[in-house]
Amino acid sequence: MKFFLEVWRQKNAKVQGGLVRYEVVGITPEMSILETLDVLNEQLLEKNEEPIAFDSDCREGICGMCSLVINGYPHGPEKASTSCELRMRHFKDGQTIIIEPFRAKAFPVLRDLVVDRSAFDRVMAAGGFISVNTGNAPDANSILISKKTADKAMDAAACIGCGACVAACPNAAAMLFVAAKISHLALMPQGASERDERVLNMRAQMDKEGFGHCANEYACEAACPKEIKVSHIAKLNREFLRAVFCSDK
Amino acid sequence: MDFLSRFYSSSIGRKFFVAGAGLSLCGFLILHLSGNLLIFKGPGAFNHFAKTLDSNPLILPAELILAGFFLLHIVIALIVRYHNYQARPIGYARYSVKGGRTWGSRTMTATALIVLAFLVIHLKDFRFGNRSEGVYQLVVSCLKNLYYAVFYILAMLSLSLHLSHGFQSAFQTFGLNHPKYTPAIKALGYLFALVIGLGFASIPLWIMMGWIK
Ligand code: HEM
Ligand code: SF4
Ligand code: FES
Repeated sequence: MKFFLEVWRQKNAKVQGGLVRYEVVGITPEMSILETLDVLNEQLLEKNEEPIAFDSDCREGICGMCSLVINGYPHGPEKASTSCELRMRHFKDGQTIIIEPFRAKAFPVLRDLVVDRSAFDRVMAAGGFISVNTGNAPDANSILISKKTADKAMDAAACIGCGACVAACPNAAAMLFVAAKISHLALMPQGASERDERVLNMRAQMDKEGFGHCANEYACEAACPKEIKVSHIAKLNREFLRAVFCSDK
Repeated sequence: MDFLSRFYSSSIGRKFFVAGAGLSLCGFLILHLSGNLLIFKGPGAFNHFAKTLDSNPLILPAELILAGFFLLHIVIALIVRYHNYQARPIGYARYSVKGGRTWGSRTMTATALIVLAFLVIHLKDFRFGNRSEGVYQLVVSCLKNLYYAVFYILAMLSLSLHLSHGFQSAFQTFGLNHPKYTPAIKALGYLFALVIGLGFASIPLWIMMGWIK
């Protein structure tokens, strides 16, 4: 297969960038979009041109590194899929594909398609954890959790922190990501003791990083490769109300 | 009161104000529409209702509270939109969504500004207009103008679109989202938007058709 890729090229965070059009040949339908970029980079190296910088790690949909916006869709047009899982058979031979980095003030572009998503790390450091003594593994049945609650928490815990929700949101809001973390930990008895300061601190950090406000448009839910539901955002709002009005914090 | 200022200055807190004031305004729209529909009973009933309202001593405090809700909703909503605009300084060459967004949600700012323009004109002409001959005569004489009537109807369609997203959105902001009742809230929101839009637009339509003189 042959494709025309229009890829965002930008030398560093300081300079302006722009879309550059490339032709790439020798692609097979089972290749992913990342492998297509690999092939293109080989061709660029042969011509002594600078290869395209992009992020990836696991290439099997679990690490959340592959932050590409493909034809306007974060992680591409397929539902519940990451960029690395997106196969070229979903495109027509000879098609033009536009590849851009995630766009948000809180996710500055470092180079080409690589963005700095450490804003998420700082939000996590502000409260996305539970404080326990490490050491011996605790008895698995010492704290009983109902199957329903465990399933709900597990659904929220599926978030891989990829940032596609921010990239898809018309307001560049990080609510789905933060909601997944808050919901996951608030549902678990282990998370209960730090519940109030967690939501207050993570919310404060989220705003400090410059993410937008939620307008309940739900583009995030549709873009999320792990299908995190916006009902978690409602839970985040409840947790926040509770912490502000019903706690001593 | 420290916690309140922190609440207001948070992204989530601000949205509670927008949603709370917005839903209160929805309640006001029901009262306003019920009054308006009296116009179909003729000048006597309509003018009598307007006079009764005007002579009620509670109308001034009620209007002030209403103005407060409008100001709260408009000012904070526009602040929120301004922040959101700033949250993505460089946009996409191509931007698409796989779902979620609706016609109503996409056009919130545009419909809001149309409704705001309408609100200013509406207050100037009707609330602070010359009501000496009776409100019925004032309304009919204004809406006999074709351009005025068309603008009125377009503004009501905008309001309807605003509510089609706004009504259900406010419940999510309050943290109310559950498969048990969210489908019902969504349906109620669309019904509400339809009834409000058609209800208010029916009056200029009837006057345009010459069915109300
Ligand atoms: C009677 C008139 C109005 C009613 C009943 C109304 C109602 C609502 C409701 C219920 C919401 C949803 C709040 C949420 O998402 O939680 C909303 C959102 C909004 N309203 Fe209104 N509204 C009215 C007029 C206006 C006006 C005049 C403006 C501004 C000029 C405005 C600007 C907005 C904006 C920008 C939003 C979206 C806020 C966001 O989510 O970012 N509205 N409205
Ligand atoms: S909520 Fe979904 S889209 Fe957002 S960071 Fe988590 S996995 Fe990615
Ligand atoms: S590279 Fe790990 S999720 Fe795509």
